[in-house]
Amino acid sequence: MSQYKIIFTGPVGAGKTTAIEAISDIPPIKTDASASDMTKSKKSSTTVAMDYGIMNLAGGEKIHLYGTPGQERFDFMWDILITGGIGLILLLDNTRADPFQDMKFFLDSFQKFIAETNVAIGVTQMDLSNKPTINDYHIQLQGMGIKPPVFSVDARVKNDVSLLVQSLLYSLDPGIEA
Amino acid sequence: MKDKLKSPLKIALHGIDGRTYKMMVMYLQGPCKGAAVVVEDLNAEVDMIDADSVQAQKLLEQKLTKSARPIIVLSLQELTFENILYVKKPVKTDDLLFALSEAGTMLSAKKKPSNQVSSYTENTVTRQSQESIDQIESRLPPEKNQVKKQTTNTNEQKKTSKHQTAMQLDEGKFNAYIGSVPGLDVNDPKQFPDAVYNPKDYFQGYVQSALMVASAKKQVMHLNSGWKPLIIFPHNHEIWLDADDKQLRAFASVAMNKISGPGITLTPAEPSVAPIKEDLEKFHDKDAFVWKLAVWTSKGRYPNALDIQRPVFLRHWPNFTRLVITPHALRISALLMASPRTLPEIAEVLNIKPQYVFVFISAAYALGLIGQTKREATEIIQPSVIKKSEQQGLLSRIIGKLRANKS
Repeated sequence: MSQYKIIFTGPVGAGKTTAIEAISDIPPIKTDASASDMTKSKKSSTTVAMDYGIMNLAGGEKIHLYGTPGQERFDFMWDILITGGIGLILLLDNTRADPFQDMKFFLDSFQKFIAETNVAIGVTQMDLSNKPTINDYHIQLQGMGIKPPVFSVDARVKNDVSLLVQSLLYSLDPGIEA
Repeated sequence: MKDKLKSPLKIALHGIDGRTYKMMVMYLQGPCKGAAVVVEDLNAEVDMIDADSVQAQKLLEQKLTKSARPIIVLSLQELTFENILYVKKPVKTDDLLFALSEAGTMLSAKKKPSNQVSSYTENTVTRQSQESIDQIESRLPPEKNQVKKQTTNTNEQKKTSKHQTAMQLDEGKFNAYIGSVPGLDVNDPKQFPDAVYNPKDYFQGYVQSALMVASAKKQVMHLNSGWKPLIIFPHNHEIWLDADDKQLRAFASVAMNKISGPGITLTPAEPSVAPIKEDLEKFHDKDAFVWKLAVWTSKGRYPNALDIQRPVFLRHWPNFTRLVITPHALRISALLMASPRTLPEIAEVLNIKPQYVFVFISAAYALGLIGQTKREATEIIQPSVIKKSEQQGLLSRIIGKLRANKS
């Protein structure tokens, strides 16, 4: 059976783990690698910074939800993650010093993947910091030549995350009927 | 490169969170083939700093003034500093190995037995440290020099209506929630010319006019309609209304000239009115308020300013998580983001009732998100055929799953 993935990315604290938890049918898994996998001199396990969840579909299909490491920004990891990905969910933290810079970084880094699939952007923490506004994000994106969905998102709220993912999927094909 | 790094460099990591720290440990051991190991600060030969962390500037200043160790900086920005090795993010293995090699060379130079060399190196590092700090302060973007100031106080979180998640309506709930116009079948193509409404005839039009005035004057305004008090806060894009959604829905559908049309006034208001302070849950986001007001005014009709024969386009996606989502609104948005279409075409292509198109267009138009192509250009614009995804069945099942679990 094919492996289908939806990739969640964004800076640390943007809510990737929480968002995956909101729609996953299993508690998110943080993959632990045993010491022997990494180094014989170390005994304790080490968390590989990647979040993982699953959506179980009727008929036994599974959608794998992967969260990229946040501030790590090691592209070797991203390349592995995005292979076979359906699309990208980019979460941005509105309380960070320069969320536009974050947005540009992640859109540039995943440019090829986005061109092949699509992206939907969720802006979190807007109840703490209401600027920039969603409209400000659209203005920035206009300058970058793309028009993805951009929603205010509370990553703890399943409906918010669900709508963001739905917008990604409809962007891929507006003809989808649920 | 390996020859220069016979024994692993000992690196201390700074400004890097716990998860990234572990990731870097593995990265150095794996893709970097053990060129360096992460150690405690006291035992380190080289410092590695994340220049995009909040405390980056402070860390750099500390290391440049108090330590003569080589510094590797990971940064999104292009940086060129004396005595600081720069690796651009996303970190690439070759770039990091090169920086480690350079750091090793710097260490080797410092370890030479000659006092002269050692003294020279340390003096150079010390002298250039202040230069580097100055450079850092001037070259790092201003945003990096300070933590973002919060623009709102804790009251923002108490504005529950404003941050409430969207209500997603399905077809079954539409008529009960949105309503319909007696004697008009908006889904009958023959009645399309009559399926229009003028927002100016309703509360919607007065609210939109008041918003424009408040925005232009940058003044808190009170709309006196003879109904419930409505106050506009243009600076925060907020509306305060002393009524619940049920009351608003009922009032939205009543033609204003039948109530108090000429008596409606707009006056400057004091932002610190006592009831407002106590009723923070009555604050609404301006766009979300206008959107739902238009939905309830439309009742499945479209604004009379639009020509149903001309294609419309959507300027950008609405912020759906904070809006009332009418049936098929996401599909209509996705379709219009791909290319302009006439309203009947949208219904035809998506195989949905025209009322769902009309109500969405009414709401999006009220927010200024809908534009209409000029008549001359109509012939040039050929709506693209929807590209059917090879994974349509799969995508449909995912959406079905997501919509089934909305709680």
